[in-house]
Amino acid sequence: MKRKIYIGICIGMALMAIALLWNSFKPNEKVDFSTQIKPILNNRCITCHGGVKKNGGFSLLFEKEAFAATESGKPAIIPGDASGSEFIKRLKEEDPELRMPYEKPKLSDEEIDLLTRWIDQGAEWGQHWAYSLPEKVDVPTLTNEAGFTFEESSDFLQNNIDNFILTRLESEQVEPNPAAEKNIIARRLALDLTGLPPSTELLKAFESGALSYEALTDTLLAQKSYGEKWATWWLDLARYADSKGYEKDMGRSIWKYRDWVIDAFNRDLPYDQFTLEQLAGDLLANPSTDQLIATAFHRNTMNNDEGGTDDEEYRVATVIDRVNTTFEVWQSTTIGCVQCHGHPYDPFKHEEYYKLMAFFNNTRDEDTPSEGPVLKFYTPEQQKDVDKVLNWITENGTIKQHKTYKDFMQFTEPVYKSHIFQEITNGSYDDHASVVLWDDGNCILKNGYTNNSGYVYLNYRSHYDGTRMTIREGDANGPILGQFTINKAKNNTTSQFPIKKIDRKTNLYIETQNNAAAKEANIINIYWIAFLEDMPGQDKPGWSAVNKTFLKTLNTNMAVTVPILAENPSYMQRATQVFDRGSWLSQTDTVQPSTPESLSKWNTEWPKDRLGFSKWIVDKENPLTARTLVNRIWHQIYGRGLVPTIEDIGSQSDAPSHPALLDWLSLRLMNEHNWSMKALIKEIVLSGTYRQSSKSTPEMYQRDPNNELYARGPRVRLGAEAIRDQALAVSGLLSDKMYGPGVMPPQPDGVWQTVYNGAQWEESKGEDRYRRGVYTYLKRTSPYPSFLTFDAGSREVCTIRRIVTNTPLQALVTLNDPVYLEASYTLAKNTKVADDVDESIAQSYKRATYTDISPNKLEALKALYEESLSEFRENEEANVLFLHFDDKPTPELSALTVVANAIMNLDEFLTKA
Amino acid sequence: MEDHIQRLIQEKIVRETQAKTRRHFIKSCAQGMGGLALSSIFMGCDPLAKPMAKKTVAFSERDLNPLATLAPPFAPKVKSVIYLHMAGAPSQLEMFDYKPQLQKYHGQDCPQSLLEGKKFAFIKGTPKLMGPQAEFKQEGQSGNWVSNFMPHFKKVVDEVAFLKAVHTDQFNHGPAQLFMHTGSARLGRPSIGAWATYGLGSPNQNLPGFVVLTSGGNTPDAGKSVWGSGFLPSVYQGVQCRSKGDPVLYIEDPDGMTRDLKKSTIDAINKINKEEYAKYADPEILARINQYEMAYRMQIAVPEVMNINNEPENIKQMYGVEPGKESFANNCLLARKLVEDGVRFVQLFDWGWDTHGNIREGSIDLGLRNKCGEIDRPIAALILDLKQRGLLDETLIVWGGEFGRTPMQENRGNKKMAYKGRDHHGDAFTMWMAGGGIKKGVSHGKTDDIGFSGIEGQVSVHDIHATILHLLGFDHEQFTYEFQGRHFRLTDVEGELIKEILA
Repeated sequence: MKRKIYIGICIGMALMAIALLWNSFKPNEKVDFSTQIKPILNNRCITCHGGVKKNGGFSLLFEKEAFAATESGKPAIIPGDASGSEFIKRLKEEDPELRMPYEKPKLSDEEIDLLTRWIDQGAEWGQHWAYSLPEKVDVPTLTNEAGFTFEESSDFLQNNIDNFILTRLESEQVEPNPAAEKNIIARRLALDLTGLPPSTELLKAFESGALSYEALTDTLLAQKSYGEKWATWWLDLARYADSKGYEKDMGRSIWKYRDWVIDAFNRDLPYDQFTLEQLAGDLLANPSTDQLIATAFHRNTMNNDEGGTDDEEYRVATVIDRVNTTFEVWQSTTIGCVQCHGHPYDPFKHEEYYKLMAFFNNTRDEDTPSEGPVLKFYTPEQQKDVDKVLNWITENGTIKQHKTYKDFMQFTEPVYKSHIFQEITNGSYDDHASVVLWDDGNCILKNGYTNNSGYVYLNYRSHYDGTRMTIREGDANGPILGQFTINKAKNNTTSQFPIKKIDRKTNLYIETQNNAAAKEANIINIYWIAFLEDMPGQDKPGWSAVNKTFLKTLNTNMAVTVPILAENPSYMQRATQVFDRGSWLSQTDTVQPSTPESLSKWNTEWPKDRLGFSKWIVDKENPLTARTLVNRIWHQIYGRGLVPTIEDIGSQSDAPSHPALLDWLSLRLMNEHNWSMKALIKEIVLSGTYRQSSKSTPEMYQRDPNNELYARGPRVRLGAEAIRDQALAVSGLLSDKMYGPGVMPPQPDGVWQTVYNGAQWEESKGEDRYRRGVYTYLKRTSPYPSFLTFDAGSREVCTIRRIVTNTPLQALVTLNDPVYLEASYTLAKNTKVADDVDESIAQSYKRATYTDISPNKLEALKALYEESLSEFRENEEANVLFLHFDDKPTPELSALTVVANAIMNLDEFLTKA
Repeated sequence: MEDHIQRLIQEKIVRETQAKTRRHFIKSCAQGMGGLALSSIFMGCDPLAKPMAKKTVAFSERDLNPLATLAPPFAPKVKSVIYLHMAGAPSQLEMFDYKPQLQKYHGQDCPQSLLEGKKFAFIKGTPKLMGPQAEFKQEGQSGNWVSNFMPHFKKVVDEVAFLKAVHTDQFNHGPAQLFMHTGSARLGRPSIGAWATYGLGSPNQNLPGFVVLTSGGNTPDAGKSVWGSGFLPSVYQGVQCRSKGDPVLYIEDPDGMTRDLKKSTIDAINKINKEEYAKYADPEILARINQYEMAYRMQIAVPEVMNINNEPENIKQMYGVEPGKESFANNCLLARKLVEDGVRFVQLFDWGWDTHGNIREGSIDLGLRNKCGEIDRPIAALILDLKQRGLLDETLIVWGGEFGRTPMQENRGNKKMAYKGRDHHGDAFTMWMAGGGIKKGVSHGKTDDIGFSGIEGQVSVHDIHATILHLLGFDHEQFTYEFQGRHFRLTDVEGELIKEILA
């Protein structure tokens, strides 16, 4: 019966194929630009006639360019007249000097025919599929006639995803695998959702039928470990690390952002909100502390503290990184190319890059070592002071003043950082974010705005008592705005000094005098200078006390901070200019913020800032955002994207294996799941496609090496963190402690070595040694070595894909790293069954792999056990050395540890099958 | 020499044939799954093919072993590269670029015309010119200039080709080192060694293909990214071999475990993995079986090659090694041992060349002289030792820093500095190459009278990369890797062969 249907399908398919072929050669059939023409242009023409090179004055990147006059004075393509078009003539030309593609093989007759008909039909220019999204996608219906009748079909069809998958399988005549066994699918599911194998209780409940598959899924999604696992993925995109990068690579306190990401996943913050808060949380009305922490997404950029580097150069580098990262993370688009020239393949123009950059170019951070602005976290006691000040302003002032003072107490902006001071005489910029002045020293803050303030705020360290500071307007001879005395202050201090009110941008001349100091002796380090609108209620009793409290908060030392985004006030706005060929030193036209023309439309109600830009990103009309997320979550689960090039969805990307499914899931994510990532993940793992067994045959790997058809379940090596987490989990060592500063589990001595940086890897104590990998301290120039070996990156820039490798160095980690030996020992100890070696080994194996041991495997491990046992019995000293974790090491336990270590090195342990 | 090239071409042909037949062999092996000849040196896929191939019919040898050797597209001149990087940037004006005129201008203000539009790391205002702080002599048959800071170098001066007018657009250590080793001043690109290992694999399967050795007490300013793999698979990144602790991390068996027991452990693992392969047919399992065998062999081979104690006394003296310590001399000897054993790319970083004059060690006269003393004998020894073993013809040695130093004396903070020093300078500095495919005893490029700018034969960092790739058998414009929709090259969109120094 089955065979008959197959034959039926075969004949049907053959007929369809003939029909298709005939159609494609039918002269009147309309040629489609996006699917038939654009790929030819991209593969064969655009390298020389595109965004970078426009040989002969001819480019095929934009519609306008393609039909414009070339160097010959005439357009190369004349719509409706292929035979009159130079473009076609050159393709057919016999003279190799004239024929195109130049010095490359001739186009095939089919390709030339397609191009000819396209021009004859009017050469209609179309849009690439990636830049538009259908309004609705129908789920394919599977009729009995068309469908497979294999026994497992009812098993396979679990939700709508399977209809899409099965339709393709049918057309390729491939049968899906049966469902995976319960223990296997439970392990796969738990690893995918939580990054850890399931607890024994959960597995039991599922295996016994007490818990349905869906209930198991819900339980796992509700576990805190879900957030830890998916945060690991997001932190790669966010380039999260615990150090600043570059030469000195000093530590950075930004772990609150990592914790925010974990929480955001766990509370299933909808992706649109998740996006808004990270890109522009600071611009939301009354942002919460959490929303400010979220903006640290873009403070994960590196900060260059190397002596002699130009802060502005690295600030610009940072802004460029933010633009590039935003497009890589949310739009699957490599916009970085456009920095220097028009995009070689995608429809973006050079100046469009800088229009995008204009959205990001007005934040306060300026590559200073302090990394300001940093968000402060007051203790409840300290917070009382903050509230006291804010209450006073609520009573006596405006909403705007309230925001000014709240911001200043929260993250100390806006301030003029001293690296912008100019014309320093008798002093210097000391390269550690301060201007140093000597006796008779002076410098100028150009174009500063004093906000009509009666006070100047100064952050400094002072090495002498009695330094006289004078601030003048203009220059050395200008009118005095303020004159005051500064005394010794060893630590950074913020003080308030009265000045004369002026309400205009002007040059501020700052000078210092101290006769007590030796010539060329540093008398003061100035870090920043600020002017705030005066605190209201100055005429009321109590003002002085509140002002004193305010100054006290400014001088509170913080144990924990996190760098955040803060927008420039209007008087500090930077203009954004186009960089000629990408060089920041040669800036040309000034541009205003806007999004690329070829992408989705801008809604005029949105503000022209980062907030408006974020709204554009998560607008339902933007086809790339949802597709990108669906594709990458799919990739996390299957090890392969529906569009295999997960970095790129555009004219250079691979075609989607299941285009309709990608669109259907994208629309569903936005319209039905309301951007819930948990709902999307749940939908994917509930499918029969996901639940298939990953067993296969060499023939099937030949047929479909990358599992593009999904006729088998995913089989992927675990990620770096998951390999260690799993070893700790199955052995019973894993701590479930969440949050907090990065921890330093054991690593070999001497791995950390950075110039001008005394920081040390201080091995964590107690349970901090056994925390999940997401909490491991990540120093960019020297990441945790075993993670690096298993393909985790150094997070210097956005990592979209960890390329999975398979190397001998990985074997050395799981065989020899003390972390894995301790885990092996603990696993062996916890699964040891007295006087029953076979059972001990079987238990150990099952605990690790969630599978019953086969006789062959038991035999292999038993032999290893016997050999170890005799070795350790013979050599007492070796036994003690090997099992140094144990007070009373026995040769039996040593031998079981060797076996457990072998188990932790099995492919089935390292792989999600 | 002719023989040598013939040999390399012959090797290329043989390997290509092997590659074809081998592919069939593996294919049938995978289908039938008998035992795999794991000790074989596999030949593999084409690195010029798209990394995300849409339809690979059969998995290739490279899937099993990503370091399997590949033949380069053109006949190579060398098999291995030893790259000696003086991190911090050595002063060309005290070592190789003799500027008698600069002595004449010593103490005078630097002309404004040179300073206009220029940016320096620390120099402020108008600095003073400073004459050479070393004495120079013409050495060897070639008569090339070498200073008295490098007394041993004269023995090998006729082996090297100087590049006197190298320039870079970076003048801070981190970005300049990244630029010098990855072709980009920003992070994220693969290093030269990673490109080489990716393109060619490594002949010795028991050692990493790309080894990094550091000395001078610090790793380079730009950190491990200078030997990173960027967007290439991480297997191609440099493996740092250390002189203290395990030479390679986790290479040592745990205390109390014998080699035999480790062998049995790996046998048991592989036996079970083979059973797993029968069930899942995933070629990754075969690769893993292979990698575990290799790991075992590496555990023997790495400590062996990293042990310099067994070298004859005259060789130890020749280099001036100090066993047990971290030194540039030790690393030079190790570099020879590594290329002798078939390692593709050996990268040495020696830290401590940043001679600003702010501290004694960083002074241009005293500090630099000491640093030169640390490298002079070992470098001469390395070249002579390779030569006497017949290895110099198939090895390329590259020497240089990330930039050069100013003809002006540094005046940091507008103050007179404690010692004599020079600031960072990228406009013109000296590098040299020696070995296979390189002309002997030549000097290419010239700087102006004070050594500020190149006036003749200027070469860029990309040109140097193009030349290194050429010697390894690649056309730098064709050797690409597709990443995020773009074909990336080590030389980006630039680079020209430095033909003048090619033999």
